[in-house]
Amino acid sequence: MNFSNTPSFISHGPRPGLRLTLAVAASVALLVGDARLGLMGPAREALSVALYPLQWLVNAPISAAQHASEFFVDQARLKQENAALKTRELQLSAKLAELTTVKNELAELKAMHALRSQRAEKSVLAEVLYTGRDPFSYKLIIDKGQNAGLVEGQPVVGDSGLIGQVTRVQPLTAEVTLVINKGQMVPVMVERTGVRAILYGYGGGVELRYLPVHADLKAGDTLVTSGIDGVYPAGLPVSRVTHVERRAGAAFLSASSLPVDGVYRQRFVLALETGANRPPVTQPQP
Amino acid sequence: MDRPQELLKPVKRRFIYFTFALAILVELVPLPQDSMRWLPDFVGLLILYWVINLPSRVNVGTAFALGLIADVATAGLFGQHALAYSVTAYLALSRQRQLVMFNLGQQALAVLGLLLANQAIMVMVRMVTGAAFVGWGYFLPPLIGALLWPLLTKLLVLPYRRHSLL
Repeated sequence: MNFSNTPSFISHGPRPGLRLTLAVAASVALLVGDARLGLMGPAREALSVALYPLQWLVNAPISAAQHASEFFVDQARLKQENAALKTRELQLSAKLAELTTVKNELAELKAMHALRSQRAEKSVLAEVLYTGRDPFSYKLIIDKGQNAGLVEGQPVVGDSGLIGQVTRVQPLTAEVTLVINKGQMVPVMVERTGVRAILYGYGGGVELRYLPVHADLKAGDTLVTSGIDGVYPAGLPVSRVTHVERRAGAAFLSASSLPVDGVYRQRFVLALETGANRPPVTQPQP
Repeated sequence: MDRPQELLKPVKRRFIYFTFALAILVELVPLPQDSMRWLPDFVGLLILYWVINLPSRVNVGTAFALGLIADVATAGLFGQHALAYSVTAYLALSRQRQLVMFNLGQQALAVLGLLLANQAIMVMVRMVTGAAFVGWGYFLPPLIGALLWPLLTKLLVLPYRRHSLL
C-alpha cells in the first residue's frame, strides 16, 4: 500500500499555507526579538543546554582520540624532551642567579643615589674592585683615583653609613681603609645623647675607648660622625653599640659595637668631598 | 516512475528523528573553518527529503522547529534558519505531488533550486539585520547538496531494503 502518496482524506491539522504563515510570523518575530531587542538570550540558552549532550557526544571521540595519541608518545621523544627541558632549566637557573645579582646591585645603586642627592657635598661614585689581599689590613680597592679627582683623606660611605677613608690614591684606583682597620679612628657621637667619643678600629671591628664609666651609653645606641674633625661630615652612621660593660674598678667602660651593616657588603661606595680647610690626614698605622 | 518501492513502506517516527539528530550532529562536529564553504546543509537536505517523501509526518512545523535548533547549533541569528526552512519546506510541500513523481536526477535539480532559495532567504535575513554580503561562495553548498541528493535517497532507503528481506 502506498502510504506516502495516498491522498489523505482525513484532516492532518492546519493546511500548509496556514502553517507557513504561522512559521514565518514566528520566525520574523524571533528575528526581530533577537537582532533588534536581544530578547532571545534565555530561549537560546535553554536550547543550547538541550543541545549540550549532542555536542558532548560529537566531541567525545575526538577528545578520546587526542588522549590516546598523547598516551602513546614514544619513549625516545619523551627522553629527548626531558633532556631539552633539563638544559633549559639549567640555563634559566643561571639566568635567575644573574638576575638576583643585578637586582641587588640595582637596589644598592638606588640607595647610593638617594644618599648622594641627600648630601650637600660633592661625591664620586665608585665600584669596589677587590678587597686588599693582606689579611691584617682591612682595605678596599675602588675603581676611581686621581682621574676622578679623589684625594687622600676623603670619607667613603656605603648605602647605610660610613665605611672608611681614602688613604692612597693611584692614577686610576684608590685604596680605602675601612673603619675596622687597626688604628683607624673616627670621631663619633652617640646619636641619642650627643656624648662624643672616638671610635677605634682594632682590626676586624670597632670599639669605643676612653669613655668614662658614668657615660650615658647603652646597647642599641647608634654612633654617628660628630663632624668636629673636619674630615668626616657630621651625621653619618658609623656603628651600633651591641654591648656595654661597666666594670667596677675600671676607669673607662668597655663597649663593643658593630660597624653599620657590614663594611664588606658593599659593591658600590661613595667618596665624599669635604671642603678644603681640612686638618692633615690621619696616617693609618701599617 | 522509478521511485524506489522501499519508500512506500511505513517509516518509523524514530527513524526520522534519528536522521535529524544525525544531521544536527554533523553541524556540531568541530570541523575546520574552511569546511563551512562547501559542506552542504544536511538539516535542510533532510527536511526536503522527508517533506517530499513523507509529507504527512514532516511539514512546515517540523522544519520550523528544526530551524530553531539549527540556529542555536550554528550560533546564527535566532529565527534565521527557522524562517528559511519553513519557507523551503512550504515550497516543497506545495509541489510535493509533482516532486515525488520525478526521478532522482530531476529531484536533484528541484532540490538545488529549493536549497538555493533556502540560502537566499538566509542571506536576505542577514543583510536585513545589517550583515555584509558574504560572497557568492555562500551558494556553493546547495550545489554540493543537490549532487549528494541521489546518494542521500539511496542511503535513507537502505534500512528499509534490508527490512524487506526479513
